Amino acid sequence: MAAFFVPRRWCNNEQVASKQLFRFLVFQLLTSAAANLLIAEQASAKHARVELLSRQDAIAIGSDLQLGIHFALEPGWHIYWINSGDSGQPPSFKWQLPPGFTSGEIQWPRPERMQSNALLADYGYHDDVLLIVPVSTQQSIAPNAGPSAHFTVEAKWLICREVCLPDHAQLQMSLPISGKAIGENPSSAKLFAHTEALLPKPVPRSWKVSARSRKDDFAMTITAGKRIAKAQFFPLYPGEIDNPAPQKLQASATGVTMVLKKSDLLVKPITVLRGVLVLPGGEAYRIEAPVRQSLQ
Amino acid sequence: MKKARYFVLLLCALLALLAPAFAAKVGEPAPGFSAVDSNGKTQRLSDYKGKFVVLEWHNQGCPYTKKHYASGNMQRLQKEWTAKGVVWLTVISSAPGTQGFVTPTQENEYIKTMNAVPTAAILDPGGTLGHLYAAKTTPHMFIIDPNGTLIYNGAIDDHSSSDPGDIAGSRNYVSSALQEATSGKPITEPATRPYGCSVKYKN
Repeated sequence: MAAFFVPRRWCNNEQVASKQLFRFLVFQLLTSAAANLLIAEQASAKHARVELLSRQDAIAIGSDLQLGIHFALEPGWHIYWINSGDSGQPPSFKWQLPPGFTSGEIQWPRPERMQSNALLADYGYHDDVLLIVPVSTQQSIAPNAGPSAHFTVEAKWLICREVCLPDHAQLQMSLPISGKAIGENPSSAKLFAHTEALLPKPVPRSWKVSARSRKDDFAMTITAGKRIAKAQFFPLYPGEIDNPAPQKLQASATGVTMVLKKSDLLVKPITVLRGVLVLPGGEAYRIEAPVRQSLQ
Repeated sequence: MKKARYFVLLLCALLALLAPAFAAKVGEPAPGFSAVDSNGKTQRLSDYKGKFVVLEWHNQGCPYTKKHYASGNMQRLQKEWTAKGVVWLTVISSAPGTQGFVTPTQENEYIKTMNAVPTAAILDPGGTLGHLYAAKTTPHMFIIDPNGTLIYNGAIDDHSSSDPGDIAGSRNYVSSALQEATSGKPITEPATRPYGCSVKYKN
């Protein structure tokens, strides 16, 4: 597994030199990948280190692959969740994959709430986050497949502390194609496993989730067969609930009712309230609460 | 004199803290205000009764604001709509010491350099006006109709990015709303999610 990074400023100031360096690195990469040599090259972005990682150390035809973009952020800096909240912007990835490979959706770990004052709350990540992207391979690539496959991703993100800086990078990687069963890459598998534990899960089958739309808020009731004394709700879509408003909880013996203030921007009724519920232990669940209109 | 200024600043800060996020809801009367612009002139919403008023939250250091100024997009909008009698008020709510805070002189220089043509630029370092409208981002746009009703609250356009290359393919919500409103039509998208940097309020 190998990855490297071309910071934007290289492209601006030293375009020619960086192109040559780039070709050299690609050459190195391909030869090293063919030799199944595992390296991970990294470079600095603005207040972060960004790298493309693979969970597997090779590609087995027909089985899925997990790639991920790893952000190691300087203290105090953050990037954003799929719904960034009141400001900010989520990272976006544009993949260039060899024929026969398809990239899936970003697997967003549960976010943190970042509230700067009574008017503004954002959702995102501090310190360290891996954004996993599943990549599937078709059987049909087998006949034409060379000894390795090359992946390129154009990543764009916004990094903020008190101020915000847009940044982007082109990340590349080659993985050998193997006919045999594949193993995990020991240097990255732990990070992938850790990140999977942070992904929201579907709610247990025994749970019931529903919401009532009232004049100024949604009352979302979760029946979980156990008392839920603390919880945080992260709306999947912007403009449905008021992000900075305190979420009022009414715990019951069987669950909780969360009172979520409506956003000023909500001008049309919604039929489903979607988001992520995070419980104190960090367990996170994907919520799809059917909404019914209520007169009270 | 200096003491009096500090007192005013303190008062503004207190007001900003006390103000419960008042909200500006589409279809409801826009909150009235009286604020001082970069030329020291008092700007009152009530002075503009009978006209359309655009409020544009602004921070010259924010990459999303830069997108619309370095490209000339915001100035084009200002020019087009002020020529048609619309009042355009740029509002700067960055607190002292934060990104985008400017003195009146600095703001006037910026307006000149950028060839911006707002009716006026309101300096709101205490965040009072920002809190009154619950302005969240730069840019964040509001439109008030001649009766004083808020008719638009949201983004400048439909491409949440800091890339000026996206402007050409964007639907400008402010332009669309003004076109519809000035020709007596209902506004197709009266509320959208504003995008950009957070407004740098005093914490």
